[in-house]
Amino acid sequence: MIILDLELKDTPGELIKALTPISKMGINIHSVIHLREKKVDGRIPVRLVVGDLEDKILNEMINKLEKLDVTITKVNTSIRKRDIDLVVIGHVVDTDIRDTIDRLNKYGLVIDLDLSMPDPFKESSARMKIIVDSEKLNDLYNELDKLSKEKNLLFIKSF
Amino acid sequence: MKVILIGFGIIGKGVINVIRKKREYLKNKYGMDLKVVAICDRSGAAIDDNGLDLELALKVKEETGKISKYPEKGTSMPIVEVVKSIEADAIIEATPTNIESGEPAKTYIIEGFKSGKHVITANKGPLALYFNELLSYAKKHNRIFRYEASVGGAMPIINLAKETLAGNEIIKIKGILNGTTNYILTKMEREKLDFDTVLKEAQELGIAETNPHQDISGLDTAAKIVILANSIMNMEVTIKDVNIEGITKITPEALSMANKGGYTIKLIGEVSENKLEVGPKLIPLDDPLNVKGSLNVAMLNTDLAKEVIVVGRGAGDVETSSAILSDIINIYLKNK
Ligand SMILES: NC(=O)c1ccc[n+]([C@@H]2O[C@H](COP(=O)([O-])OP(=O)(O)OC[C@H]3O[C@@H](n4cnc5c(N)ncnc54)[C@H](OP(=O)(O)O)[C@@H]3O)[C@@H](O)[C@H]2O)c1
Repeated sequence: MIILDLELKDTPGELIKALTPISKMGINIHSVIHLREKKVDGRIPVRLVVGDLEDKILNEMINKLEKLDVTITKVNTSIRKRDIDLVVIGHVVDTDIRDTIDRLNKYGLVIDLDLSMPDPFKESSARMKIIVDSEKLNDLYNELDKLSKEKNLLFIKSF
Repeated sequence: MKVILIGFGIIGKGVINVIRKKREYLKNKYGMDLKVVAICDRSGAAIDDNGLDLELALKVKEETGKISKYPEKGTSMPIVEVVKSIEADAIIEATPTNIESGEPAKTYIIEGFKSGKHVITANKGPLALYFNELLSYAKKHNRIFRYEASVGGAMPIINLAKETLAGNEIIKIKGILNGTTNYILTKMEREKLDFDTVLKEAQELGIAETNPHQDISGLDTAAKIVILANSIMNMEVTIKDVNIEGITKITPEALSMANKGGYTIKLIGEVSENKLEVGPKLIPLDDPLNVKGSLNVAMLNTDLAKEVIVVGRGAGDVETSSAILSDIINIYLKNK
């Protein structure tokens, strides 16, 4: 999700004028929060929540809004989240699974852990889901690479 | 049009069978009179400027294992000499893939261009190792170089990207480019069998080679990814640039785990501007890349057409030869 804080001119129809080009671009508008009570310098602050966008599209949208004399005070893309599913193969438990999870939690949040141990002496496998901020994705991948080498684990990722 | 065939194994024989089968079709549809003026194997060659008797060539190979035993026109002339001295429009190169040196195919291809012949190959080795060098020979001698069969067998991908999707920028390609590993993973998933058991069975069925290392280690897929990167995406990379992980560590438990989460595991090759990778990946069960058995699949991400997906048979004599035939026809039409 992407949150944009906008300021619109205080004249009727401004909101529609601002939203039309956005929806024309096929962008999913999740919510529009009208903060009329916080009026600043005769402008009305509006908080807009849209679905995830590629940077290129996001910039295009911002350009369109600016052309319409909409002020953009804040674009918060940092809360763009991604789900990553993983299947791990190796000695998942014996290589200190707590430590593995803690280290992944530095960059994201491991939810949903599922373990399968067919035989205590054999390799096991686990499935996990990690929620991660888009901007921390590379750090998470780097940590996975490190863990993979250190603990001889194979992480099979979803795209 | 006259062609020289180098390599008379599975693919070489497949090409000859396809040419026999399509002779009338080629004449009627394109006005093309396709003559095979030489066929080479390790024993030497059979050479006939008027076109060899293809049925006879197959029979001789079948019975003696040596094309040099072809009556009257059989010879032990080295292949390089055949390429240099026999007049033809194109060579079709189908000798075994050598991923370390690209030889002997590399020499045949270069000699082909040098002696003014167009070149068609099914061989990943020289392409993955020396693509730019080979292309420069083609350019220097103003000849056409085609290699559709080298990636994905019968599945159209190279010519699809370069010709049918012309005008599109190809941003990313990912897919299953090795039928053997797909067969193994599919079988492990369905029958909950371990890797070694399924591999052994695949070898007995002739689906996996006696030396399956290149397939299961991911090297074969990596070679194909390099070919796609260089030929379609104008990169200059080699196998050493590819991050490779094979499928030998995959267990049936891991596949069940993946299934529980709505996924399957496939050996995926991927190329984009900043990624050159081969490794097992989780693929959603309902994803178009989740094709079963020994099928190959590729998804091309393009700027205009967006996603384009192709599925097809990555191996097989007649199947792969269909890609070679399409290259022959293309060369013929360009020179008509
Ligand atoms: N099989 C497939 O489904 C498939 C699919 C796509 C691409 N390809 C590629 O197509 C090519 C041919 O594959 P294939 O399956 O037909 O192989 P193959 O059955 O082993 O046949 C190879 C042929 O090359 C000849 N040969 C072997 N070593 C040679 C050498 N050092 N110099 C000259 N000729 C030599 C062999 O001669 P003899 O007959 O005298 O032994 C044989 O005729 C390979 O590069 C392969 O990767 C194959």
